[in-house]
Amino acid sequence: MATLRANTDGTFSRREASLPLILTYIFLIIGAIVMIMPFVWMVSTSIKPDREIFGDSIRWIPTELDLQNYSDAFEQTNMPRLFVNTVAVTAVAVASQVLLGSMAGYAFARLHFRGKMLIFFTLLTTMMVPFEVLIIPVFLLIKFFPLAGGNDILGQGGTGLINTLGGVMFPNFVSVFGVFLFRQFYLNFPKEIEEAAIVDGCSRVGVYWRILIPNSKPVMGTMALFAFLWSWNDFLWPLVVVKEDSLKTIQLGLSVFDQEQGTAWAELMAASVMAVVPVILLYIFLQRFLVSGGLTSGLKG
Amino acid sequence: MNLAVSKRVDWEGQRTDWRDRLYRFYNSQAFVAFLFLLVPVLLLAALKIWPVFYNLYLSFTRYELFEPPRFVGLKNYKYVFTNKTAFQSIINTLLFTIEAVPVGTALALIIAKLLDQSIRGRVFLRTLYYLPVVSSVVVSAMIWRWIYSPQHGLLNYFLGLVGIPPQHWLNDPNLALISLVIVTIWGSIGSNMVIFLAGLQDIPRDVIEAARVDGASPVQSFLRITVPLMRPVILFVVVTFTIGIFRNFGLIFMLTQGGPFNRTNTMVWEVYQNVFGYLRLGRGAAISVVMLVIVLILTLISFRVLRERQGA
Repeated sequence: MATLRANTDGTFSRREASLPLILTYIFLIIGAIVMIMPFVWMVSTSIKPDREIFGDSIRWIPTELDLQNYSDAFEQTNMPRLFVNTVAVTAVAVASQVLLGSMAGYAFARLHFRGKMLIFFTLLTTMMVPFEVLIIPVFLLIKFFPLAGGNDILGQGGTGLINTLGGVMFPNFVSVFGVFLFRQFYLNFPKEIEEAAIVDGCSRVGVYWRILIPNSKPVMGTMALFAFLWSWNDFLWPLVVVKEDSLKTIQLGLSVFDQEQGTAWAELMAASVMAVVPVILLYIFLQRFLVSGGLTSGLKG
Repeated sequence: MNLAVSKRVDWEGQRTDWRDRLYRFYNSQAFVAFLFLLVPVLLLAALKIWPVFYNLYLSFTRYELFEPPRFVGLKNYKYVFTNKTAFQSIINTLLFTIEAVPVGTALALIIAKLLDQSIRGRVFLRTLYYLPVVSSVVVSAMIWRWIYSPQHGLLNYFLGLVGIPPQHWLNDPNLALISLVIVTIWGSIGSNMVIFLAGLQDIPRDVIEAARVDGASPVQSFLRITVPLMRPVILFVVVTFTIGIFRNFGLIFMLTQGGPFNRTNTMVWEVYQNVFGYLRLGRGAAISVVMLVIVLILTLISFRVLRERQGA
């Protein structure tokens, strides 16, 4: 067996496949099959008629296509409603985290002011605190939110932001991770361009708006993708905040559907496919942002 | 510009001067910083800093939402460490970590190492390994519930092929935790792999090449060169992975609800139960504080080890 091997100068050379290379391939391919098998199984189940799901042997490719499961799941979960809610919550989270992250990142990277290091390191410390640990105070904050949901100015008397989409959005307006991501990016941005603009009479806000924002597309892509994934896939917080069916996000609707339907696996898998496909598509198109921007810059600090 | 302004003494000139000062204030670094930081810092203070302290305060109180919190001293902490169910949740979290982290980290490192060479289809393979990370915990849990299904599940079918009788994966006290561990490892290999791939970029190629020339086998060079050089990255992954397990709520909610017989009752589930099940906010807060302390200790250890490496 011979394979083509890419050389560093862009040419290809033919070489005999060594034993380690073959073993590498076997290991990686078996691993990849194990990793994606659950997804294949999900899709396979979602397009099968029930008698093939509960048959004696396993069929990966159904003998007949049954898309009834999709329309059933679509209606029973009230999928359009779930979609609208999730898109609204996610869009606000993405826009807000990008805007506030870049503003704060700019301030920490470029401006000098008293207490900068103190504020910066305080925020840095909060990165170590997982949200799950703070769920009680944040829940109380939302419940006793002043002047919302029948609350008075002291936050008493009503339900606050509980059972509202605003309550679902609130903890996702800003991420510390985003602030650091943008700060890191702006620190590496050439200072000379900004200085030239300031000499020419541009204000600092103008520099931010006209020079930094238009040049931040890669880091904005990274932030947007992370914010999208967090918000779209978020489960615990919507579970705690939302009670009403009409306000549920996709993840929440899906989890309840699961309990209601018991073993209607075909519908469950069809609903899962509908929930996961937008995320997978977005990931495939935007994965260069995820790999290049986010994780490496996070590591090297 | 200022010179011209100061020479003019008429009404028009004074106004220009006043505007100029206003503009200079508006354009000062301190004011722009205030403008840009006000909203993000207030939000983070309300969502990340105040809750830490308020949570700590609540952990010393009895609070059931309808009357104000009442101070009870260390009673909640005594509960956490003496109540069988609550203490079991700490043990279960640690068991979960011990079962998932070493295997999951080792697999991610091996896969990253194998993908870190110029082989065909590496981008495609990397994408496949990463897919479970992109999928939500609810969807993943749903798929795995179907795979673990005792009657028609995929896993029991495969085991049947090699003559192993069907198991009640999620309802068997001896298998429930390991079933969750398997899902967790499957769901985390992708993200840990990406971190390892980034770390592998920093290992000088000539060291590996020199070892190869000296006759080291790939396995030897992996164990003797890659693993020691990657130590800080491995530690980083171990810590973030462990914290991820501490936060793992959705899987337990969807698959086992802490059962059977509390075998999968972890700390985050115990917090949820106390707060939103029994409305015992003080107890929930105490468990959260214990969780936070463990997470902080782990993070500080990792910082220390990372700094030692950088200093050397």
